[in-house]
Amino acid sequence: MRNTRRLFHLDPLSRRLARAEMRDELAFHLEERVAQLVALGMTPDEARAEAIRRLGAAWADADAQLEHSAELKERRLNVRERLQEFADDVRYALRGLAARPGFTAIAVLTLGIGIGANTAIYSAVDALLLRSLPFAEPGRLFDIVQRSSEDGDAAWSFPKYAFFRDAQKSYQSLAAHGPTQTIITGTEPERVYAEEVTTAYLKTLGVRVAKGRDFPSELDAAGGARRVTIISDALWQRRFNADPAAIGQSLSFNNQPWEIIGILPPDFRGLSGRAEALLNLTARPADALSEPWSLEFSMIGRLREGVTAEQAVAEAALIGPRIYDAFPMQGGTLTTSKKPEQWTAEARPLNTIRVAKGLKRSLLVLFGAVAMVLLIACVNLANLLVARAMSRKQEIAVRLALGAGRGRLVRLMVTESLVLALLGGAASLAVALAGTRMLSAINPQDTLRVQGLTGGIGAVGFDAIRLDASALLFTFLVTVSVGLLFGLAPALGATRQSLVKDLKDGSSGSGRRTGAGRRVLVVAEVALALVLLAGSGLMIRSLGKLLAVDPGFDGRNVLTLRLSMPAGTVSPDSMPGFYERLQEEISGVPGVEQVAIADCPPLNNGCNGTIMTVADRPQSATGNAMVGVHWASQNWFETMRVPLKRGRLFTAEDRLNAPKVVLINEATARKYFQGEDPLGKRIAVYQGGFHTGAEIIGIVGDVRFGTIDSTAVPDVYISYGQARLPRMMVFVRTAGDPSAMAPAVRAAVQRVAPLAPVFDVRPMSARIANASAQARYSAVLLGLFAAMALSLAVMGIYGVLSFAVAQRTGEIGIRMALGAERGRVLALVMRDGAILAAMGLAIGVLTALALTRVLRTMLFEVTTTDPLTYAAMAVVLAMAVAIASWIPARRAARVDPVIALRKG
Amino acid sequence: MLKGTLDLLVLKALTLGPMHGFEIVSWLEQRSNGSVGVDDGALYYALHRMEERGWIESEWRLTSNNRKARYYRVRAAGRAHLKTEGALLEKYARALVDILALRTS
Repeated sequence: MRNTRRLFHLDPLSRRLARAEMRDELAFHLEERVAQLVALGMTPDEARAEAIRRLGAAWADADAQLEHSAELKERRLNVRERLQEFADDVRYALRGLAARPGFTAIAVLTLGIGIGANTAIYSAVDALLLRSLPFAEPGRLFDIVQRSSEDGDAAWSFPKYAFFRDAQKSYQSLAAHGPTQTIITGTEPERVYAEEVTTAYLKTLGVRVAKGRDFPSELDAAGGARRVTIISDALWQRRFNADPAAIGQSLSFNNQPWEIIGILPPDFRGLSGRAEALLNLTARPADALSEPWSLEFSMIGRLREGVTAEQAVAEAALIGPRIYDAFPMQGGTLTTSKKPEQWTAEARPLNTIRVAKGLKRSLLVLFGAVAMVLLIACVNLANLLVARAMSRKQEIAVRLALGAGRGRLVRLMVTESLVLALLGGAASLAVALAGTRMLSAINPQDTLRVQGLTGGIGAVGFDAIRLDASALLFTFLVTVSVGLLFGLAPALGATRQSLVKDLKDGSSGSGRRTGAGRRVLVVAEVALALVLLAGSGLMIRSLGKLLAVDPGFDGRNVLTLRLSMPAGTVSPDSMPGFYERLQEEISGVPGVEQVAIADCPPLNNGCNGTIMTVADRPQSATGNAMVGVHWASQNWFETMRVPLKRGRLFTAEDRLNAPKVVLINEATARKYFQGEDPLGKRIAVYQGGFHTGAEIIGIVGDVRFGTIDSTAVPDVYISYGQARLPRMMVFVRTAGDPSAMAPAVRAAVQRVAPLAPVFDVRPMSARIANASAQARYSAVLLGLFAAMALSLAVMGIYGVLSFAVAQRTGEIGIRMALGAERGRVLALVMRDGAILAAMGLAIGVLTALALTRVLRTMLFEVTTTDPLTYAAMAVVLAMAVAIASWIPARRAARVDPVIALRKG
Repeated sequence: MLKGTLDLLVLKALTLGPMHGFEIVSWLEQRSNGSVGVDDGALYYALHRMEERGWIESEWRLTSNNRKARYYRVRAAGRAHLKTEGALLEKYARALVDILALRTS
């Protein structure tokens, strides 16, 4: 009996049934006993009376007495049956899936990739946008900036920081900090990132030193304080072998001794995320801290207990203008606008500036795109399952007729889709692991800066992306929702049916209802695919335009490396000779064609610049004329293939005591010398001793020093021959692969400057690639997602049409028997596909027009409504649909009317 | 009858193979030559209670003369119970017999 019930998946025993069983049992006993007693010689009546007596109470009031036992039994049966039922369902589902390995493999693969990609992007979103900052009570941490009505956010000078610190009442602790780079001098010179901080830095963040002690607060008083440093755990391990005796020792930064007073915990490397040492900011000489307009520090504060964010914001807005009143800009402002520049201060939660805005947007766009792919995958699977449910109609009808409840059948079918989803979810972990590894490896901080993605906290970086508990929970939730999403609808649809009809006609039911449902699903799929195609198409076109940008130089076969001269290594007067020797030594390396020096590489975004004035012209005429100022050796332009447009380049004659000369780029000529000949004109730039004026001797082509998508800005070049600078970047044009030359070139540099660390050794081509890295990642990932969406949509259309053809074989047979030509049958099916595609395209284009607006700030020289992209993507989709319809259409056209009619 | 003895007797009977209630009673009466009287009602309470505890399980089957009857079968937990409790009871009974023997002599 139990087996039978199981076979038909009937409801578990009801209480009534349990009690009836017990009565049956006792009745059987009674009969047996009576028979026995009669055999022993009793009359039937006597025997019956005796038998009842022996059963006693159990028989007399079976109802009351057995109630309890029956109830218990029922409960136990219920639990056991349900567990059993679930196990049976899972086994049934697994058996069903194993019976169709092709379908199962495709479904698990689709889901695995879909869910895995979602998990990977989710872990990036979690690490970069969601996870709380790795500091104690991060909600109370605020970033405070100055804001100018002209230039937006601005940093702090030490005097202004001190003014704010003393005026505020909202923060229990405030600190100024700023990233810097320095050189560990002595043996094995090494260039390191560091942060200059005031003493309350660690206290404000809520970070405790792992060893030693924090900065003593008395150092904050003024400039020229003791040089003390807290070094990173990594540096301590690397240079001191983790010896606790390092504390108290002296470490030489830029040829000055700094006392190590503490070691940072291993997981903390400053807000920049890469500091090897925290340097006491007030160790600078007093005059290097007293300039109120030397804006170079950031400020963080920890709110006092009980102070609200609103109070802090309001207070900053009040203090801001007072700071300006205390330190007015000398000589008036240089603004060109009519309104005077307004200065204020703004406090904002540290969490709101954790990553650059552009990065946040790309991440969210990718998250949306990858979710859409998964949605399409779900729609596809729902489609496949609807088809399968329809082919099982008769089986379902039989089960319903035998008394299986609808809920029970729905449960059975949903279990199947859940099992499928869980298999997919398990497979997705491999994809997610690979994805998170890939994501955590990309985008080092330099890459972000050269793309203009600044403003984030370095401590919140891509390297924090990992497959953690939160990502696994996300995977599980997505998996279960996906299983329910694509399983429930087909299950409900398949079990809502007319018993009699389905029992009678078996599998050839017209399925009009579900058929329509499937069509809607396919239209949705096509629409979603088009949205993704349009989005990725726009990104790819934008990337194409970025890559087509002429940066103004030829970066092929150029090796670049940076060199930093520690203070006092070479006397200032012998610097020009040093540059010469350096270039000569490198030129001697076999395979080197040309060598040149400049202070900042192209596409670096963050080169040096200052204000320029033109001689004999009132300052108001040029206004606030900002120009980039670049040091270059005389052959730099030739080495980098930067064309000379007019005049001449620097020569060896342009020496320290010779008349000062400058080169300008075309943008400078255009902007500041409209209708004039700049050659021979004198300009002053307030750097390198050129404030006294210099003659313009030539005009060179525009080189992009900023982000690749920025327009060329006015630049002025000065010669290393006439101005000293310890900072230099060496450009080496090589005959072959520049990377292969790196060791030999490095060795040559070290022969000339053994105490100067060489770093940032990269081919120029890698710098160019970095400049468009994010656009490339976005385009590649979006393209990948769109390709997945396209193939899923194609599979969906193919599935629906094939199924429709199979269902309509009889009808097609009749048409052909009545004289319809094969071409007409072909057209019939193709038209079916075309209608679905057209509806999907129409809805998709409208949706895409609305949704791709979020891409606007991510696109370069492409509008979000770019007709070419939309047309191209619609054609791609239409062609894919045509191919997907062609196969079932051809099958329909090959229907043999005789066979079809006999079967139908 | 001693408390718990019926359970052990029933379990013992079932170790011979699946039986329905009447078979169990008949077997017990036969083996003890009628000296162990089992109340039929009590037997069914015991059977249901033991099924509840998972010592035995039941199944509807046809008898040799083609009638439907509920057959009980002992489960692993029942065997274990029989072994431990049976040993205890045996010890107790032997002690009881010894003591009673002392008194009569």
